[in-house]
Amino acid sequence: MKVEAISLEKKYHGAVEHWQRHNFKDYETLLDQWEKYFPTDERFCLCAKLELGTSDTIAIGEHKGEKKRLEPEQLSEEEAAHLLAIIKAQASTEFGSIQQHAGTLERADDDQDRFWVLRVMAEELRHGYQMLHLLLSKDWSHVSRGVSGEQMVEEILSMQTGNHVLDAFNLDYDSFIDNITFAAIVDRVGKYQLTMQRICAYRPMADSMPPMLREEAFHLAAGVIPMRRWAQRAAQGDPFITMTAIQHAINKWVPRALEMFGDERGGETNVKFGFKDLKNREAQDQYIEEVQKMIRDINLRFIRARFPAYAPEQADAALAELERARGTHHGVRREDLLRTPDRRFFRRKGEPAFSMVGVDGEPFTDAEEYLRYLSRHLNEGYVASRDMRNYAEALRGVAAGTLAVKDAIMKMPKLKRVGGTCPCSKGVRWVMDGSAADQAASA
Amino acid sequence: MPGTETGTRIRPLDELDIDAIVRIDERISGIYRPEIWEQRVGFYLRRDPGASQVAEAGGKVVGFMLGDLRAGEFGLEEPSGWIERFGIDPDQRGKDLGRQMFAAMVAHFQAGGARSVRTLVDRKDEGVAGFLRALGLSPSPLEALEMRLDAKPTESR
Repeated sequence: MKVEAISLEKKYHGAVEHWQRHNFKDYETLLDQWEKYFPTDERFCLCAKLELGTSDTIAIGEHKGEKKRLEPEQLSEEEAAHLLAIIKAQASTEFGSIQQHAGTLERADDDQDRFWVLRVMAEELRHGYQMLHLLLSKDWSHVSRGVSGEQMVEEILSMQTGNHVLDAFNLDYDSFIDNITFAAIVDRVGKYQLTMQRICAYRPMADSMPPMLREEAFHLAAGVIPMRRWAQRAAQGDPFITMTAIQHAINKWVPRALEMFGDERGGETNVKFGFKDLKNREAQDQYIEEVQKMIRDINLRFIRARFPAYAPEQADAALAELERARGTHHGVRREDLLRTPDRRFFRRKGEPAFSMVGVDGEPFTDAEEYLRYLSRHLNEGYVASRDMRNYAEALRGVAAGTLAVKDAIMKMPKLKRVGGTCPCSKGVRWVMDGSAADQAASA
Repeated sequence: MPGTETGTRIRPLDELDIDAIVRIDERISGIYRPEIWEQRVGFYLRRDPGASQVAEAGGKVVGFMLGDLRAGEFGLEEPSGWIERFGIDPDQRGKDLGRQMFAAMVAHFQAGGARSVRTLVDRKDEGVAGFLRALGLSPSPLEALEMRLDAKPTESR
């Protein structure tokens, strides 16, 4: 594979670096320690990367077989507006996840785990940079409703946890368990989106995907591998790591991850325009299957650690027995293992929005009972959050018949902060060389 | 993404293959060592994602081949593909899966500019050495040297 590396115009490159100094303070630590944790790996590059030599033919949709579009003006107005929204949403997720990771990064109990997450954050920064390149390198003015490229960048870099485009990026992390679980569960949706967009009819978007996907492979490993090790520690009786704590994090993130695919009944437009090759439900079905496999593997890791004399087949049999009979196996209960939450569990968007369904698919009819159930299946820090309070208010309204589901959906997420501001410059983040603000931020 | 085929297929390694690799290794070596494979899979997924390959039969991973594209080591400036570890479930041998994984890795290495594939093998392990020879690898002018540190050198030069 041949890749072209591109830097943004100095003004915008500086804006991203300025954002990094406020939102990703450990970036320099990562670069300083790179050789220790990632010896012989290529040094990190804050740049856009475009894969060369990809297909120039549209693979799907109503323009299938035609040449891929190279300029936004070559797309119809509707197509260009749709793609612009996708790019902006993608940019929001990349920068948003860094802000989330930064909140609890220092609580990692293992340096390797911490530096793996730091690398994930750096690569998310590059992915955000990539999306800014897509916004700035071409003229979108015919569909941007008068918003200039500069203003779009300003808008994206002003977002904070609470006013990002997608709900999954508006939740604070409660512990380092969230850093890891998020990488395993939410980054997995990212992998699906990037994979689907590899065929995008707009070639600069398609060419952006392969380098991002290669980096995303490690992001998933940075989630799954620590989760596997934690399952081992939990099985061996480590008092600080429990399967319950991991399950509660899974319960927090899987519903938001499922909603990142969009409404289960939608996605046809993306396929019609040739931007993605799967509709929402198709992609979500595959995703759920993958999460189920991940969780089964982690459970097997737990069982092998609890029963070291077991052969693989004995561990398989024990797990199958626990899943089927939901009883106990030499002291291990079904509840001691991880489960993939039912796809309708704790949903606030999409087809099952505000239905009351438990982790294992059990139905509830009373909103208060369901909220008490949620409080037992989510971690304490999250239960006491504003996000949960907003959800509970909306759910009560839906259950009482005073709020239509579609209106309840529109209330999510409730913005905590309207329009972020840069701590040192009150919203103006264009950086002049040697400005006082810049020096203050880097001090 | 999950496969749906019932036949065999070769695809790049991902993080959900760890369990299958641990099992294959355990079948071959008789040792359960998940930590080693978690570390190695993590290494290759960050080092050169897309290089390492697995073989699936009936939707189940039955073989793996791990390696990466490197340059600048041991004075070898030109990029070379390196094969480090591989294994095939004993029940699935003889189906050409090793050759297919190797071909996929070679394609990846060539796309990255490699003009050679390298590995190290214990000559006493005739099974592995024979497999590598059958793939087309042959003795290299480069020589692997070592010195035991638990015994005195017999002579100094």
